[in-house]
Amino acid sequence: MTAALVSLTFRALLNRRRTLLLAALGGLLVLVAGIFRLGDPSTAEATRFTGRLAADFGLAVLLPLVTVIVGTAAVGSELDDGTIVYLLARPLPRWLIVLVKLAVTWLVATLLVAVPILIGGLVGTAGDSEIGIGYAVAAALGALEYAAVFLALSLVTSRALVVGLAYVVVWEGVVAGLFAGTRIVSVRQHALAVGDAIVGEGAVSAELALSVALLIGGAVVVLATALAIRRLTMVELRGETG
Amino acid sequence: MTVLALAGVSRWYGNVVAVNDVSFEVGPGITGLLGPNGAGKTTLLHLMAGFLAPSAGTVDLDGTPTWRHPEVYRGIGFVPEREAFYPFLTARQFVEASARLSGVADPRAATERAIATVGLADAADRGMSGYSKGMRQRAKVAAALVHDPPTLILDEPFNGMDPRQRLSMMDLLRAMAADGRTILFSSHILEEVERLSDRVLVVVAGRLAAAGDFRRIRRLMTDRPHQFTLRSSDDRRLAVELMAAPDVESVELRDGRLTLRTADYGALTRGIASAARRAGVTLYELRPADESLESVFSYLVRR
Repeated sequence: MTAALVSLTFRALLNRRRTLLLAALGGLLVLVAGIFRLGDPSTAEATRFTGRLAADFGLAVLLPLVTVIVGTAAVGSELDDGTIVYLLARPLPRWLIVLVKLAVTWLVATLLVAVPILIGGLVGTAGDSEIGIGYAVAAALGALEYAAVFLALSLVTSRALVVGLAYVVVWEGVVAGLFAGTRIVSVRQHALAVGDAIVGEGAVSAELALSVALLIGGAVVVLATALAIRRLTMVELRGETG
Repeated sequence: MTVLALAGVSRWYGNVVAVNDVSFEVGPGITGLLGPNGAGKTTLLHLMAGFLAPSAGTVDLDGTPTWRHPEVYRGIGFVPEREAFYPFLTARQFVEASARLSGVADPRAATERAIATVGLADAADRGMSGYSKGMRQRAKVAAALVHDPPTLILDEPFNGMDPRQRLSMMDLLRAMAADGRTILFSSHILEEVERLSDRVLVVVAGRLAAAGDFRRIRRLMTDRPHQFTLRSSDDRRLAVELMAAPDVESVELRDGRLTLRTADYGALTRGIASAARRAGVTLYELRPADESLESVFSYLVRR
């Protein structure tokens, strides 16, 4: 039962044209790193540029963009087009549906974000793996937190994509930049803290301690998942004609 | 034997009452759920299938509430009215995924069986996005019965089917009912409902207006005049003769068609032949003009 649910979720996410576009964005990151490499930069230059590329583009743009699109679609698109009925009419515990959707979303987002960051890091620094691995791990952990939040969001509102993008742009992009205190509830800052802790001399110094980031991030994942399970348990299907 | 039981079920959305204090039981055999658009048929089916929480009352499948008990879906097959399908799956993949999601022991074999049952074998490997509405409908039915459920709930299953597909779907439902399954379906194809259902539930404005055998419901409504159209060798003379008959309420001759209304179905059908003989008229045709479910509906709605 679980395997069928996993395969159905994968196919639904990977068959969307958007997912291909997102993969192209990941390719862009690798391409930029490669073009930079062609200029034969010094080691310090390469480390700085590649680190900025991974943090400012990979973690700050690619990661939220991919997770908001994939995360809100995992359940949200099925609620929209009515195919959710084919899952709800099966003897599947609702928590299992949510956990599988979350796991698949996480995996897809990791493939689309962490892998390009890893490859871009290796290409940009000519084989120095620290930046690539550091920010790839950060992206993978960030992907889990974002995925949990956006999955829950898609079960709370039918405009999850808009609300999710607003969170990313307004809260993480503007508010967290102006008010340092709000960074504690910014997924991007959690991911940056992880990347910074691994890379050491990070290109972008993180504002949060690793322990705080992991603790808050972990709590967000647990709470968002619990909310998503609760919401899916309460989902009602209304007819179109009554 | 499976029994789906509703007791005092109401469902409202804010101030709007969609289903109002409905109680009935559905057992083995075919039950048709009928009502005009917006009467609450889909709401009622969704309540029964556990996709909606009752605002009041209980919906049980053999004693287990259907709402928030996903395990009941081992015993329920559901065909939604909504035209929802996975555009990236073929019908065979869709049915097989449904079998696997239900934990069927041999999903491949169950899939082949279900696809053969709905007569979709030739097209099963084509993507469902290229299907006609009727084909998608059959794929949905195959997915609903792939785990061999004792209860089948179908929301407008004949939608989009051509007459031949409709007949074969009716045969299929009859065969499944003969196996002792509980089958409940809603439909607006009244003539077929009449031919298919052992039992009819009539829903009007969220209330259960009538339940039971269609013809018996019809007879029970004794205060409702029955209407007949007649053709004879001399309609005018027959009309004069019939006007004198005690059970006849009215006689109308318009556009060359003789229509009469009576409060007593039995007395009229027994007496009409002798009335024709007395008038010296040959009776060619006597046809009940309103024995369709549509007329029963409109009568119930008016009442």
